[in-house]
Amino acid sequence: AMKRDILDLDKHVGKKIHVKFQGGRSVVGVLKGFDPLVNLVLDETVETIMDPEDPDTPTDETRHLGLTVVRGTSVMLVCPAEGMVETKTDPFQQQQEEAEA
Amino acid sequence: MASISAAPSYLPLALIDKCIGSRIWVIMKGDKEIVGTLRGFDDYVNMVMDDVREYTFTPQGKKITHLESILLNGNNITMMIPGGDPEEGEKAGAA
Repeated sequence: AMKRDILDLDKHVGKKIHVKFQGGRSVVGVLKGFDPLVNLVLDETVETIMDPEDPDTPTDETRHLGLTVVRGTSVMLVCPAEGMVETKTDPFQQQQEEAEA
Repeated sequence: MASISAAPSYLPLALIDKCIGSRIWVIMKGDKEIVGTLRGFDDYVNMVMDDVREYTFTPQGKKITHLESILLNGNNITMMIPGGDPEEGEKAGAA
């Protein structure tokens, strides 16, 4: 049987995506191309700088990188940039407390 | 800033291949960045570069080392920007 990719990036081509990396870096950019190893071509790439004291927390500081090639071996997460919210509180915690009560 | 060309080069490694002979800016997983002239790369995206500036970013500021010719281990490479330079962003920011 042919090995099938579980991540279909075709549907994201031309759209803005958010990419998180091993090591803590985080960027958004327009997906222009990709390969089966999740190497990516991103256009209008903007990196959000993380707080040096708290590497999980983004600062308001960004830097414009332009057209980038992203190394698939370093990619930790890919998601659409629209409709995503980052939160520090656990959205499942309230459910857990109700279940235990 | 680099510009995008017609359809076929949307394969990531093809775009890197087009960059051979030109300047490329490589951003590593940690706080290190490399700018140099790309001479070639292999299947693991280990890269050979000339006329290299190695940037190390610390809370105190950045440190720049000049290296004539390097083999960059592809293990820690996160992003590659054809024709890019970490200084450009700074100049643009200051302007």
